[in-house]
Amino acid sequence: MKPAAFEHHAAGSVEEAVSLLAELADEDVKVLAGGQSLVPLLALRLASVGHLVDVNGVPELTTISNGDGLRFGAVVRHRQVERSPEVAAANPLLAAATRRIGHTAIRNRGTIGGTVAHADPAAEVPAVLALLDGSVEVRGEGGTRSIAAADLFDGYFTTTLEPEELLTSVHVPALPEGTGWSVQQFSRRSGDYGIVTVLATLALDGDGRISAARVAYAGVDAVPLRSSVAESALVGQTASAELWTAVGHDAAAVLEPGSDLNGSAEYRRHLAATLTARALQQASERAGGRA
Amino acid sequence: MRMVGAKVPRVEDRRILTGNGHYVDDLQLPRMVHAAFLRSPIAHGRITSLDVEEARKAPGVHAVYTGADMRALSKPIRSPLAQGATPEIFPLVTDTVLFVGDLVAMVVADSRYLAEDAAGMIDVEYSDLPAVVDYETALDPGVPPLFPDLESNVLHTATKEAGDVEAAFAAADRVVEVTLSQHRIANVPIETRGAVADYDPGSGQLTLHAATQAPHGLRLQMAQTLDHPMDRLRVLTQDVGGAFGLKGNIFREDFCLAIAAKQLARPVKWIEDRNEHLMASGHAREERITAQVAVTEAGDILGITAALDMDAGAYPGVPFSAVSFTGVISLLLPGPYTVRGYRCDSRVLATNKSTYVAYRGPWAMETWTRERLIDMVATELGLDPAEVRRRNLYEGADGDRMVTGPTLAGITTRECLDRALERIDYAGFRAEQEAARAEGRYLGIGMAAFIENAPGPKEMRPNGGFTGGEAARVRLEMDGRLTVFTAQSPHGQGHETTLAQLAADEMGVPFEQVRVVHGDTQVTPFNILGTGGSRAATWGSGATMVATRKLREKVLAIAAGQLEIDPSDLQIVDGVVSPKGVPGREIPLARLAGQMTLMPQTAPPGTDPNLQAEERFTGEETSGSGWSGGVHACIVEVDLGTGGVQIKRWVVVEDCGRIINPAIVDGQIRGGVAQGIGQVLYERIPYDVEGTFMAGTFMDYLLPTSAEIPPIEIVHVEPEDDEDGGVGFRGVGEGGMIVAPATLTNAISDALAPFGARVTEQYLPPAEVLRLAGVV
Repeated sequence: MKPAAFEHHAAGSVEEAVSLLAELADEDVKVLAGGQSLVPLLALRLASVGHLVDVNGVPELTTISNGDGLRFGAVVRHRQVERSPEVAAANPLLAAATRRIGHTAIRNRGTIGGTVAHADPAAEVPAVLALLDGSVEVRGEGGTRSIAAADLFDGYFTTTLEPEELLTSVHVPALPEGTGWSVQQFSRRSGDYGIVTVLATLALDGDGRISAARVAYAGVDAVPLRSSVAESALVGQTASAELWTAVGHDAAAVLEPGSDLNGSAEYRRHLAATLTARALQQASERAGGRA
Repeated sequence: MRMVGAKVPRVEDRRILTGNGHYVDDLQLPRMVHAAFLRSPIAHGRITSLDVEEARKAPGVHAVYTGADMRALSKPIRSPLAQGATPEIFPLVTDTVLFVGDLVAMVVADSRYLAEDAAGMIDVEYSDLPAVVDYETALDPGVPPLFPDLESNVLHTATKEAGDVEAAFAAADRVVEVTLSQHRIANVPIETRGAVADYDPGSGQLTLHAATQAPHGLRLQMAQTLDHPMDRLRVLTQDVGGAFGLKGNIFREDFCLAIAAKQLARPVKWIEDRNEHLMASGHAREERITAQVAVTEAGDILGITAALDMDAGAYPGVPFSAVSFTGVISLLLPGPYTVRGYRCDSRVLATNKSTYVAYRGPWAMETWTRERLIDMVATELGLDPAEVRRRNLYEGADGDRMVTGPTLAGITTRECLDRALERIDYAGFRAEQEAARAEGRYLGIGMAAFIENAPGPKEMRPNGGFTGGEAARVRLEMDGRLTVFTAQSPHGQGHETTLAQLAADEMGVPFEQVRVVHGDTQVTPFNILGTGGSRAATWGSGATMVATRKLREKVLAIAAGQLEIDPSDLQIVDGVVSPKGVPGREIPLARLAGQMTLMPQTAPPGTDPNLQAEERFTGEETSGSGWSGGVHACIVEVDLGTGGVQIKRWVVVEDCGRIINPAIVDGQIRGGVAQGIGQVLYERIPYDVEGTFMAGTFMDYLLPTSAEIPPIEIVHVEPEDDEDGGVGFRGVGEGGMIVAPATLTNAISDALAPFGARVTEQYLPPAEVLRLAGVV
């Protein structure tokens, strides 16, 4: 578990990082952020690189700003996100989802940009982006562009970033006032990736009817998924435990998860149904509903 | 103050917790080089070509060894304690790889990085052979044996029969039959395997710095296999970061390191990485038992027959192979119950998996089988599992004998059961369970009993048992301090504390003035086992006590001569010898020892100024039943939405005789329970049908963390203090892990009772729990 030799480049600025990525494009280059996924892969020699462009020392990638939603520099640590009062106020769902990432030591080092760029289908933050229609900003030598969550995740551990592009910031919209939310995750141990993770937001009108609903899954497909089945079945309905169960069942039925050591596809669908119902129940309570 | 029985803080803790421990990887020697192994990626296949030339030329490489190279430098590895069919084995594979992780080549280089780089340059081609990965294939006489020098993949068969089996089954109202399986798990200590081999060509001295449980066993095996003279062979072991039985083995890697060190005349270090560890250090527990239980409608268990199959993996462990544990399983399976007829047939099978190794209570299959069977009998007869146990438990009366032979006089299982059920409020729980079920919540309670011969009644261990007891040496230093040289080789058990407590009390010196030395074969007494098998509390303690008593006699004889008084009128308190009740004539031990060492010619006539003593403890002085044991009970809630199991309470009532250090005993119990919980809910070594190993990291092999372990409530059943100086301490290291899986699976089974679930596999991850409940 010792990585093969590589060259380490400590970038001091986004410009420098981007130009290194372009310059080394033919020599197996990767960006190093928190290293919580990449470094083990290198150590196991499951991946090898010629060069690492280390962006941990780029000051402009370390800040959180709050204006039109929350904007995170790519190397903002998970721990900063979960402890930020601004995040707690603007988007408590993001803070809660972030708290489910690994253990404290992992969150102290892991970054929001890293987890999005790594695109693990079981990861929490990519699912938050899918749920809330977030986006990322990327920089290449040709300039800057924004990629919406729906266009970003392209398969297992794959995004639509070009190899020479650097993910510079992550944009997560604020939750609208009065929105109820929930993060439901089941993992075998505390700190593990969820076998299935369900995120939900709900808004209720004055009569207790659902005026807006979002549901997203992690761990059930190659990319984080929005559930149009759940969302369309919820809007306009009156909150009730029966509704949550029925929607969970219907939304899970169309999922096509894989099987692994933790359980079969059928088990994952059962989990998705359970967690969807629980997420909707909690989101409804947080939205001020009684059911 | 009397130290034995006190919650003395461990003397090891300060050193270890402040980063001042000395683990083998901390060792840095001049000119040291590093080894990496090339391991087989396939389960079974012949090596058709092996090209190491490029690797030999790689930067920083000192040597590359193939199987043929090693074979020329080593004798076959033969355990002095081998049992069953034993193939000829060499340090590296010479022809056919037998499991994923098998040793194909070794690279020695300036750093581990360079060694791994070079290992990656070795070109190997394999011709695949069909892998033997399950019991049926291993038993199939048409399948060629893994080892060409053996006749089949069945390495050993045995039958133990006791009592009248036919009569027991003839008298039965019914027979409950079931096949129970226990899955493959791994020891995974925090510190992986590792060693530094250091050879001095000038003196011919070979020194092995090793993370081992058995320094003397390693030294003996190394001398035999390498034909190295024992006067020039030393094993040194300092802090060891856990082992749980694994590091009682002597590994093929160990021989490779020593051979390379001798060849290169350089220290060679190898620290196993976690990937290697999970794949190739050895695995434990994979067994199945098909059992029939003869019972009456009232719940009397008349007879048991059991057919045990054990998956021993590819290479028999050295010095103890899987075979050595079948005897213990078949001996102890009837446990503390009044079974009248019993038979156990056992088979040990070779498969294309990593070696079967001991893991904390390696025979635990007997407890899981028995206690699961009792619950199944209760379910089938519609009886309460606590009542079925009470109905069949021995009282511990003088004439009580396990059907397999050993006396059970003095066992306290019944008291432990009663106290455990009282503590957990069994009756109250049953009411709560019923109310919860009405709400769609599924609570369950499980209980299980075990007994372990640690050390066992005297009749089971004449003349000190198969090791002939154990010796310790004690030396009074010139400053009055005491050094204890123990044959134990602690790796987390705290013997530097417990043996010092015992020696301090026996000698009459302050606890802080006792040093326990272990792990150096040059100075510690021989013991082939080192530390393992829950032996230390009795054998290590007893040896320390009798050696200290012997030394105390020497000291008192000298002081008596100097004071012209009878030794029986003397006492030693706080390191000072004095006549009882006569102040003013004290002789500090420092003065006495200084004088005897510097001027031995001044020793009173007839006394021995050599102030050390080595004594062998043969177990004669032990007191009590000799059985360690107890009952655990736990309460779980199963979430049918997720399959998750929440452990709400865990109660332990245990009897390990007199307690030397309650903090250490409780730590042993908690650690064992934690591993037992891990075994049922989280841990499994997975191989696919082709023998591919599928848990290369801790992402796939799940260990419980502290968040998964509930508070564990511990009650001790402790006998009165021994007035006559008997050794009443019994082993406690393994019990928690022996009984925890039975306790937990019984609780989950109880929770799933409304669904008619029949728990026959021990591994119960969430998906399996839901399958049992019929949900998924």
